[in-house]
Amino acid sequence: MTLSRTLGTALGALNRHWFPAGGDEATMVGSFCDLRADDAVAPHYRDPFIVYLMRGAEMWRLAAQVLFKGAGYNKGRSVPFTGPTHLRVVPWVAGDLGTSLGVATGAALAFRQTSSDRVCVCSFGDGTSNRGDFHENVNLAAVWKLPIVYVCQNNGWAISLRASTYLPAPIAARSTGYGIPGIAVDGLDVEAVRSVVGEAIERARRGDGPSLIEARTRRIHGHNFSDKATYRTAEESSGVDPLDHFASRLLHRGEATPATLQQIQDSVSAEVTEAVERAKAAADAGPAELGLDEVYA
Amino acid sequence: MTATSEKNTKTATRRLTQTNAIIEAIAQEIRRDERVFFVGQDIGPFGGSMQGAKGLYEEFGPSRIIDAPISESAMVGAAIGAALFGRRPIVEISFGEFLPTAMSQLINQAPNVHYMTGGAAHVPVVIRTRVGDGPYGGHPFDYSSWFTHVPGLKIVMPATPADAKGLMIAAIRDDNPVLYFESMSLAHGPRGEVPIDAYVEPFGVARIAQPGRDVTVVTWGSMLPHSLRAAATLASEGIEVEVIDLRTLSPWDHGTVISSVRRTHRLVVVHEAWVSTGFGAEVVATVAEHAVTDLISSVRRVGALPIPIPSGHLRPLVLPNVARIVEAIRQVLERGTT
Repeated sequence: MTLSRTLGTALGALNRHWFPAGGDEATMVGSFCDLRADDAVAPHYRDPFIVYLMRGAEMWRLAAQVLFKGAGYNKGRSVPFTGPTHLRVVPWVAGDLGTSLGVATGAALAFRQTSSDRVCVCSFGDGTSNRGDFHENVNLAAVWKLPIVYVCQNNGWAISLRASTYLPAPIAARSTGYGIPGIAVDGLDVEAVRSVVGEAIERARRGDGPSLIEARTRRIHGHNFSDKATYRTAEESSGVDPLDHFASRLLHRGEATPATLQQIQDSVSAEVTEAVERAKAAADAGPAELGLDEVYA
Repeated sequence: MTATSEKNTKTATRRLTQTNAIIEAIAQEIRRDERVFFVGQDIGPFGGSMQGAKGLYEEFGPSRIIDAPISESAMVGAAIGAALFGRRPIVEISFGEFLPTAMSQLINQAPNVHYMTGGAAHVPVVIRTRVGDGPYGGHPFDYSSWFTHVPGLKIVMPATPADAKGLMIAAIRDDNPVLYFESMSLAHGPRGEVPIDAYVEPFGVARIAQPGRDVTVVTWGSMLPHSLRAAATLASEGIEVEVIDLRTLSPWDHGTVISSVRRTHRLVVVHEAWVSTGFGAEVVATVAEHAVTDLISSVRRVGALPIPIPSGHLRPLVLPNVARIVEAIRQVLERGTT
């Protein structure tokens, strides 16, 4: 979580259009940390790099994507939040929301067809939950009992709109309509998310079908780093920070000391600095990456 | 007969409808490759819209022939995802009028995957659908031209049963997303000789359906039989019409069309879709770029009139037909200077 925050902050300083994950870290880490290498992941677009890093992606190459460098996994072509497919990440190849749920559902279909116990975890925003693709795919996965876990990172905002303007009821409650488990969880609590999503993953592995998890998170920053979020009140902008929440729990339980937490921060900061500097030094994507001959396989 | 490879011409043939040829192609590929599956509405025990999947469920069962909820976007999206993870899906979108419900997957996702991942991933997905006027009269809108605008898709539209089979097998074996448009008027229409064995018809290779010296007619899909009849009508007057069947719209065969126009010096393009910004415009523009000085007459495009395709008695008044093709050919001949 510290790594996500530190890397995101560094990238946001270089590209003001980068989407900060501040407030979503606990949900991302808790949802994706227990997967196997052969499982599939399809995280939400809001700075999903921590998920890719947990899969084994190289930090400097991810950073290079945000700077549109040729050394990015995407060769500087797509939206910067796309992930490396060889690590079984469902790639972002377009800017629209909702379609990633379809592709993630297809990964689960492939796993089902090959009779494996592999699963897919797919996360998306509360705004995305109103796309028709949400309904089509959750319904499809439910009726076919596909091994997938849908995690809604409900941060309460769709750019400038507050959830009360587009969500008439809890997203988890929609699960009733599909006959699948639906669980709301404190998305600021990494252990709570890990426990709930972990159970859903095991259920999927057993062949008992999909689950819908609604993780209640926060959007600490604006929509992107350039968005001052003037449409929010001070009260709406304040709340629990998932990093502080977990840190104080570790301290309280005696599993960390202020010194060890500082050590983690220092070592993460050094790692991020090195990766970002390496990315900055890389060449901008140019004619060599244009790829007129790579439109078709 | 189709200009098939030497190997193919050696295999035994028999006469099939377009629909039976396509079903045979799908069946042969499912037998050949365990990764291939077929998903859509009513393709199971029902046998498919317009009997387009007849017999497949009985042979392959529900693991390979999958009836899906009416969720076109989820079907196409799931096919893309399954393809990313090693499968080779064929999606049946029962009718082309349903394609818009899956547009984001068809336009924003499928064609972008290979390029946007830096060439790391590819999505071998076939989207099979039906367009145009047909024996049951329903769902006539032909949106095939829309998709030719998008880099990353391949677009197929066969006009003969033999091509229907060879192009479907090519589509299934292709590592890219392929939209396969069936002209409904040809579905149960004229039978043609179709090789029994599996074979591939390459994309981007047009076929000269009838050679001629006086005018080039470029067409595909449902308008091939109409164009050939128009050619036959004019042949009785000593006018030789060269009819080219493009077979695939993306990629399409520039060379065959341009070299034909260089010989005939006249061009007519015929398709069932609307004329305005239809694919015929692309054919004409390409000829203008490469061979405009070879033309001795203005070109003509023949297609549906610019109104929503109506039902019943009104429909024949809107769609292109033999008389309109003959008229267009006469116009370019009259305007010629030779």
